[in-house]
Amino acid sequence: MSRAWDDIKMIEQITSCKRYCITASMILFAVFAFSAESTHAADAKKKTVERHTHHVVGLFCVEREADLREAVKQLPDLVFVSADFNKAEVVLSYDTKVLFPNMNDGQRVQRLDNMFKSVSSHTFSIKPLRPIADDKLTLIKIPVAGLDCKACSYGAYRAVHGIDGVEIATASFKAGLVTALIDPKKTNRIALEAALKQRGVAVK
Amino acid sequence: MLRRSLPLVLLNCLVPFLQTNVVAAEDNPRSYFESHCVTCHDSELKKGGLDLTVLKFDLSKSANFTQWVKIYDRIDTGEMPPKKKARPPAAETKSVKAWLHDALIDAEKVVLKKRGQTGLRRLTRAEYENTVRDLFDMPGIALKGELPADGSAHGFDKNSDALDISHVNIAKYMEAANRILDLAIATRPNPPTVQKRRISLANRGGFVAHVIMNGDGVLLRDKKPDPDFPPAGEHRHIDQGAHEQIGSFRTGSTVGLFRHEDESFSPYFIEHVTIYPGRYRVRTSLWSFHWDKGRVLPARGTEAARLSVVQLTGDGRGGQHPSYVLGYYDAPSIESKEHELITWLNHNEIIGFNTASLAPTANYSRKGRAMAFTGPGIACDWLDIEGPLHEVWPPIAHQRLFGKLPLVEFRNDQTPKVSAPQRQRIRQLGAGRNRPDPESGIWTVQSKSPTNDADRLLASFLPKAFRRPVDQEVRQRYVAKFQERFKAGDCFETAMRWVYRAALCSPDFLYHVEPAGTLDQHAIANRLSYFLWNSMPDERLRQLANAGELKSKEVLRSEVERLLKDERSQRFVEDFLGQWLKLKQIAATDPDRKLYPEFSAYLQDSMVAESRAYFCELIDKDLDASYLVKSDFAMLNEKLAVHYGIPGVHGSQIRRVQLPADSQRGGFLTQAAVLKITANGTTTSPVPRGAFVMERLLGQMPEPPPPNIPAVEPDVRGASTIREQLEKHKANASCATCHLKIDPPGFALESFDVIGGFRTRYRSIGEGDPAPRGSIDPFIGISFKLGQPVDASGVIPDGRTFNGINDWKSLIAADRESLLRNLAKQLVIYSTGSDISFSERDEIAAIVKSVSKKKGGIRTLIHEIIQNELFRAK
Repeated sequence: MSRAWDDIKMIEQITSCKRYCITASMILFAVFAFSAESTHAADAKKKTVERHTHHVVGLFCVEREADLREAVKQLPDLVFVSADFNKAEVVLSYDTKVLFPNMNDGQRVQRLDNMFKSVSSHTFSIKPLRPIADDKLTLIKIPVAGLDCKACSYGAYRAVHGIDGVEIATASFKAGLVTALIDPKKTNRIALEAALKQRGVAVK
Repeated sequence: MLRRSLPLVLLNCLVPFLQTNVVAAEDNPRSYFESHCVTCHDSELKKGGLDLTVLKFDLSKSANFTQWVKIYDRIDTGEMPPKKKARPPAAETKSVKAWLHDALIDAEKVVLKKRGQTGLRRLTRAEYENTVRDLFDMPGIALKGELPADGSAHGFDKNSDALDISHVNIAKYMEAANRILDLAIATRPNPPTVQKRRISLANRGGFVAHVIMNGDGVLLRDKKPDPDFPPAGEHRHIDQGAHEQIGSFRTGSTVGLFRHEDESFSPYFIEHVTIYPGRYRVRTSLWSFHWDKGRVLPARGTEAARLSVVQLTGDGRGGQHPSYVLGYYDAPSIESKEHELITWLNHNEIIGFNTASLAPTANYSRKGRAMAFTGPGIACDWLDIEGPLHEVWPPIAHQRLFGKLPLVEFRNDQTPKVSAPQRQRIRQLGAGRNRPDPESGIWTVQSKSPTNDADRLLASFLPKAFRRPVDQEVRQRYVAKFQERFKAGDCFETAMRWVYRAALCSPDFLYHVEPAGTLDQHAIANRLSYFLWNSMPDERLRQLANAGELKSKEVLRSEVERLLKDERSQRFVEDFLGQWLKLKQIAATDPDRKLYPEFSAYLQDSMVAESRAYFCELIDKDLDASYLVKSDFAMLNEKLAVHYGIPGVHGSQIRRVQLPADSQRGGFLTQAAVLKITANGTTTSPVPRGAFVMERLLGQMPEPPPPNIPAVEPDVRGASTIREQLEKHKANASCATCHLKIDPPGFALESFDVIGGFRTRYRSIGEGDPAPRGSIDPFIGISFKLGQPVDASGVIPDGRTFNGINDWKSLIAADRESLLRNLAKQLVIYSTGSDISFSERDEIAAIVKSVSKKKGGIRTLIHEIIQNELFRAK
């Protein structure tokens, strides 16, 4: 439909005559309606692949991007486009009609989430984009010490990311740092540090 | 007054007997007893608890008979009259002995005529389990543990006096029969899918992953620390769940463990939980290393790892201790070594693991954890498990029950009046990753001629199960039961199952059915196989019995050889030694950890393996009876060799090792297993050890301790020795007589501690000098001290002295005949299920004489026993 309206606008510019333009529009619309009816089945089979951006949970360090790519490879009809580590977002390319027929956005994200969990032993999860603007969030940085181990970093990440009010978190014992972008109305640094200590993390 | 003349009671009893016996006047037993016995054994002195003034000579009464046998034995051995008293003329003693001997035999004949010889006896638990295993070709089905414990009489559980039966036994037999049939009957058209799985020791949710996160182990790759899983040091790995999600333990890395199994740590390969009982192929790859604060270096030698089978119980989170040990396997330094075995696994059984040869150590809460630890480790690359393995389908167990009848899908719509066979839902405990096959409906055997098939199948099964031909009349009773159930609406399988369960709970199956008098061919076949295999006869023995060929001495001899060469003879070795030398009680005591910190389950299992291997060697090489107490070789692995202080033995496998000339080892009595069994875990005492030697090796049953005499308790504080305490104890005259015989072997064995280690000083947790480490693993902490010196000298009852264990062994080993006689007695009791009666002593003597004449050893003894009338007619 959007392509049809673009065509109408183009004709308007060419003819510069509204009278003819209305007539032409009506003709074109009728032609389009007729042709759309006849080619509906063919269009449905055509892939209308588009890029979609989602919030991703589990992207706790830069090295995890490679794991995310591997996870996407295991999912048919999904293409990894890019990942934004700082925003915890992933851009995927897929055809909603093929992958998620007759689903609304909420259902689509829920299905995606299940797919990612199943191929990543629940270490990746897909969520809707964050509703709160970054300027309303506070970045907390907590120096930590521990083994340079990806799974340990994930353990520290799980400890803070599970807290209500934490929008994005990162953890890396290699860097010796846990960060969290928090909603200050819901949580604070003390709660984060307590959660880390409870998990066995040495907070410096 | 009574002391002056032969008591009236005795006279009254003896006189009528004497009148019927030809005894010369001068050899009259009355005057013999009056002159040499009554002085001490009257109502006043009553020495040794014997009062001849009231003891009747009524040999028909069991208690009297036993007492007179004891009197005979004292005179026969020369123990009575006492040496310090005037000795009676030899001819007089001989005459009295002959008179008493004949009187006892005559009296016994009357009793045996009424009672028969070996009484009717049921299968022991071990016999029952082995019989089922062999009957159904299910070599690992576990039934023994579910049955009530057997009693014991005359040293063995095979004795009819101990094998009673109660409603509890019957209920348990019925449960067991159901389990057997559940397992034996095929319920699907095809065998279960063979699943092969490679498992890491650090499997998900397991203990091992937890402890290596905390420094009691490490992950290794290419014989180096896994770069993706740094060893725990100042910091430990956090969040096991996070590691499992990320896949830290699924990388194929090797697991290196420093920690030994303990109360809170039981390593399992939990990703395989057996669903379908059967044979499984198990392979594993092991090596050892020296860990030095983050570096992997060559190990100190070959370490040993244990594989075991653990039955999951309850919610399946753990099975605690191993159900049984599969074996100990070498883990050479740095080089991976693969081991393979095929074993039977039951439902919900898993494979357990232990770093057997390592000292107990824990870095878990220690500062610096693995990165501060220096010491040995054992690495497990992987464990493969494959199965269930079926060579044929339906399995042999099913074919024994249903022959070649086809398995078809049961369709209720086609046979609405027939009840479907019951099927149990498979429930898998724990965290196994192996999965059951999808259900494929109800499959069952189909018969187009049910009664004929039932008759045919029972004609094949019953003689095997009952170990003898079965009359048609008996079989027809079972067929009638089948028809009854079949007509009532049971399907063919259910009706047959009902009959098979009845057969497995019948006396014909549960009892040794032996005719009175001389045994028939099938009873001989049974006796032979239950002696040397502890199980039912095989097809060949049955055929020989059917053909009557077991009458032939040559055939019997060749069959004994065949049975001894078969691996099933290990059951005899285990069962006989388990009771004769009480090896079954090896775990009855836990040695004190402060006094004996070097003790471990590996050492204990090695002890038992040594005694079994030694007995096998005596049989294989036909070594003479002196080897029971003295030998120039031992059967050792590295663990035992280190324990005994013998260098040059490496690895976990038991092998024959030549002993140094001055070694204290050699023979059963200086084997650690026997020494542990005869101690209480904390201290040793010459009394129980001496009693063990008398009863088990020398065949002299010691008198029970008199009432109201407190036991002698060794002093663990180290202030006084057990010998000093026994000297005080023997000041009591009633104690002294027995202790003169009991204590000497015990004194000789004082050179060995409660775990069979050689000692010259007692270990103490109180007073004493600092103890040198000796051969104790440098990673084991020691806190005990060295207390009083050990005195292993003594005097044997005939007055000869010994100065230490080797002296004593030489004295005892010289009397081969006594040792051989005792072993013959033990084997006859074990194999016939009945004690040796007084009249059978002559047969035992004949066996011993024959073995000695042939200059034979233990193998010859077994042959002679089986060829003897005692075995074939008792």
